Amino acid sequence: MAEEQQEVVPQESGLRKSRVQKVPELPILERRNWLIHLHYVRKDYESCKAVIKEQLQATQGVCEYAVYVQALILRLEGKIQESLELFQTCAVLNPTSSDNLKQVARSLFLLGKHKAAVEVYNEAARLNQKDWEICHNLGVCYLFLKDLSKSKEQLTLALQLHRQDLSAITLGKIQLQEGDIDGAIQTFTQALQLSPENTELLTTLGLLYLQNGLFQKAFEYLGNALTYDPSNYKGILAAGCMMQSHGDYDVALSKYRVAASSVPESSPLWNNIGMCFYGKKKYVAAISCLKRALYLSPFDWRVLYNLGLVHLSMQQYASAFHFLSAAISLHHGNAGLYMLLAVALTYLDDIENAKSSYQQAASLDQTDPLVNLNFAVLLYNQGDKKGALGQYQELERKVSALRETSTEFDPEMVDMAQKLGAALQVGESLVWTRQTKDPKGKQRGAGKGPGAEQAPLGSNQALGRAMSSAAGYSKASGLSSGITISTVSKHPSLPLEPEDPSLTSSTAPDYRRGHS
Amino acid sequence: MSSSSDSSSREGESRSKWLDAHYDPVAGLNTLSSCIALADLHGDGDFKMVVGDMGHGPYNMKLKVYKGTARMSENALLDLPTGVAAFLMDQNEPRTPAIAVASGPFIYVYKNLRPYFKFTLPAMEVNALEKEVWDQAKEDKIDPVTLKEMLESIRDKAEIPLSVRSLRFLMLELQEMEAFVNTYKQQPLKRQTVITCMGTLKKNMADEDAVCCLVIGTESGELFILDPEAFTILTRVSLSSVPTLLDVTGQYDIEYRITVACRNGNVYILRRDSKRPKYCIELSAQVVGLVRVQKNIMIGTSHETLHGYSQKGKRLWTVTLPASIMTMSLLEQKSRGIQAVLVGLKNMEVHLYRDKNLLSVINTPDIVTGLCFGRYGREDDTLIMTTQGGGLLIKILKRTAQFEDKDTAPGPPTGQSIKLNVPKKTKLYVDQTLRERENAVAMHRVFQMDLYRLRLSAARAYVKALDASLAPVSSTMQEPLTLNAAVQGIGPQFKLILNLQNTSVNRPSMQLLISFLYDEKLYKIKPAFFKVPLLVPGLNYPIETFVECCSDKGISDIIKVFVLREGKSTPLLTAHINMPVSEGLAAA
Repeated sequence: MAEEQQEVVPQESGLRKSRVQKVPELPILERRNWLIHLHYVRKDYESCKAVIKEQLQATQGVCEYAVYVQALILRLEGKIQESLELFQTCAVLNPTSSDNLKQVARSLFLLGKHKAAVEVYNEAARLNQKDWEICHNLGVCYLFLKDLSKSKEQLTLALQLHRQDLSAITLGKIQLQEGDIDGAIQTFTQALQLSPENTELLTTLGLLYLQNGLFQKAFEYLGNALTYDPSNYKGILAAGCMMQSHGDYDVALSKYRVAASSVPESSPLWNNIGMCFYGKKKYVAAISCLKRALYLSPFDWRVLYNLGLVHLSMQQYASAFHFLSAAISLHHGNAGLYMLLAVALTYLDDIENAKSSYQQAASLDQTDPLVNLNFAVLLYNQGDKKGALGQYQELERKVSALRETSTEFDPEMVDMAQKLGAALQVGESLVWTRQTKDPKGKQRGAGKGPGAEQAPLGSNQALGRAMSSAAGYSKASGLSSGITISTVSKHPSLPLEPEDPSLTSSTAPDYRRGHS
Repeated sequence: MSSSSDSSSREGESRSKWLDAHYDPVAGLNTLSSCIALADLHGDGDFKMVVGDMGHGPYNMKLKVYKGTARMSENALLDLPTGVAAFLMDQNEPRTPAIAVASGPFIYVYKNLRPYFKFTLPAMEVNALEKEVWDQAKEDKIDPVTLKEMLESIRDKAEIPLSVRSLRFLMLELQEMEAFVNTYKQQPLKRQTVITCMGTLKKNMADEDAVCCLVIGTESGELFILDPEAFTILTRVSLSSVPTLLDVTGQYDIEYRITVACRNGNVYILRRDSKRPKYCIELSAQVVGLVRVQKNIMIGTSHETLHGYSQKGKRLWTVTLPASIMTMSLLEQKSRGIQAVLVGLKNMEVHLYRDKNLLSVINTPDIVTGLCFGRYGREDDTLIMTTQGGGLLIKILKRTAQFEDKDTAPGPPTGQSIKLNVPKKTKLYVDQTLRERENAVAMHRVFQMDLYRLRLSAARAYVKALDASLAPVSSTMQEPLTLNAAVQGIGPQFKLILNLQNTSVNRPSMQLLISFLYDEKLYKIKPAFFKVPLLVPGLNYPIETFVECCSDKGISDIIKVFVLREGKSTPLLTAHINMPVSEGLAAA
């Protein structure tokens, strides 16, 4: 049999011709497998199909590997049903191979038949106990079947068998779904040890730390992600958001420019760009960016909030009112919204509705003394000293609670509160005088009485100065009750992070606005 | 030389590194990186290129030898070559290497370009039951039908798969069986596998001209190391999958490492004294290229990525490539001690990587499928490329060429310098802002007032509609009906379809009438009055009528549909149909 006679010999004719001298050698079924595989991994599917066809003709369709690759190609071409049938053929040709069953299950999974896929995977798992791929895919199937505990079990098993990113990411996502943030962080960190350059892992971890308030760590991870992939949209947005909250508007803007060129139609991005301009006191640019964000996602209350805020700063109270009331009708539970609305209403001379809006804000808010301060000022200006005193006491309570957690207060707010305290003859209260920490310039109160002379409407810069210089609480305020004072608070802006689940609304009582 | 000539700086740079020695777009070479070898075949210091040409389709398989730019000789091959290797078999002088061509289950060894020896892979174990059954058939104890049944039962249960003969037999029609059995029953039953990849391993010396062992991977998932002189199997290792690519370093008698990429997407690392793979790298994609550079393993996968792994299987880095990989090869400039990896991509580029740094890019006129770098002719650093279309490209690395690791940090991405598209503020905008600032209170009041009015009139209209049953859903509990209408046609004839439904649970509606109110100058409806049949709850009753538009002025109007109860003039419900403009001319 050592003759060089391994050519493909057509069965019938070959038989007759050579019966006399020698028996034709049967071609080996697998002799072209290496070529099929080579073309397949090179993604040269046309040549691959040609070789498969030839091979299947030569072997009359029993070459398992040829059928297998043909099914893989069909699946890549989107013909999942056909590929499923071919994989089933493979499973018949070689019932002991778990690979075939795995592929059958995979096709079923792609067809959305998760239950059937689970069954086939279980069958494959009987053939091959220690295959992480089976465990991982079972986990994903269970995830789609909403059986989270089983899914977790399988994914953990997969990770035990072989540590790889894919299972870890899926497991982390499940843990996040269940609210187990610490567990998710642990899972992601472990996965990161395996592939330290995975930007998806890095950004996800960064965002998780951001949610937990660990800004240093968050920044570290996000920075790493941006080093490996400087145009990572998620990373840019999250890192930019952090820079913004530290006042690095120019750096944040330069990062956003990268994102804007790759993902120009992102509402959170334009919202953040808008708030950067706001921080730089370029109000007109801020408004146009925010309006773009609003156009891209019209039902995002945070964009509306920011628009309301910017319009308040621009002294466009009527517009601010519309944005804020739109935001409130989309999202009820935010005290800041009601407070801003009340400020707008105060300027629009609608004192009654302003009061009820403040009331709502005060009932929703537990920690922010600004709400009570503004409310107290309004009440005081309306001559309701008793009500003002009540709010002032509430303010003191919140401040003392906050001081324990060493929060820094805005100097203008402190100043305003002290003046109000003096006016209410409770000024000797020790609340603020003990306040020695250097406050951050995050929140700026600006008071301005409509009775006092209006700041000239000039350029935006002039406006900005007017707003921030807190022209308001004039010396006269303590003397005459006829002068109305109210603080316009620049609430900290709300930069949006991608996929920010922390800002979900708490259940709030349904608020009926009186000014409808 | 017709390389595409863009004026990009990178291209100009790569051109300066390489000399174009030869390009033949119609060389007719259909081959792979594994089937190209460079060897000093005649011991005269002039290196030849040996190419295993796969021909076209199942024909024209040839072993071609090139000298310079010309083909020197060619030998016919009987089957597709899997791999070609040049290796020294013995210590004899002159030190001329032999050529090993792996093909099917055989290795053909050529010396001085003449067939010298054929090695056949050892046959695999045959299923004992199967053998027994065929023995019985040989002695004519069982007929073909029984044979078929028995073989089928063996196939379904057995651990060892059936031989080709049995599988072929099982596919036959009944009438062909007898002849088949008679032909083959005298032959010994055997199971044969094929070679999937081949490499060489120095026997006991690291010298350039040391004797080499052949390392072969087979379809049965085994790895053999063959003695170069006797062609006996020195070592045999079983793998859990079929090997596809091999990389071998070291010396057989001292220490060696074999890196094997397998079809299950894993890469195994074998060492001398281990019967089992020492390390395993599990990849999520198939391996397209495998090259060992010093102590690291570079793996190109079908996910368009290039990974670097340590020799213990730890991932060091990953680079994403712009296109899918076709083939990979090692570039070793011995004079300078430079080692780098050549990666042939589908976008007609060949990238050169040292670790994760891209050193240079070569643009090629076609997709490169075969790469080989080494001494060719009398030139040390020659790059041989074969293309998908059968072309042959030879380039020589300039002696002055310097490869510098470029700064890996790509600098700020291009987007950073693009200005944000923020519209300028217009005069109109400023004017409106000023107006609002001055009159905010008044604007707000006017708006609120108008809003009240709007709400009031909306509420009034709603009450009126409810009172007069103007809505298409009846408001009375006694006759819960819904009506919707559809207009078909482009005019002047329209078909009006009214869908009437009784939405009560179990009360049929009776004695209902339908009438229309419309401008008689504009439309004619016939019939314009219906008696509605008994309405069974839940069923939809389509009622059709024809509307003719009498005007040719292109105007349209509303037609009102009333559903009435017999004897009552207040309608139960009303539908307003906005008629479309008639697009056809009214009939005269």
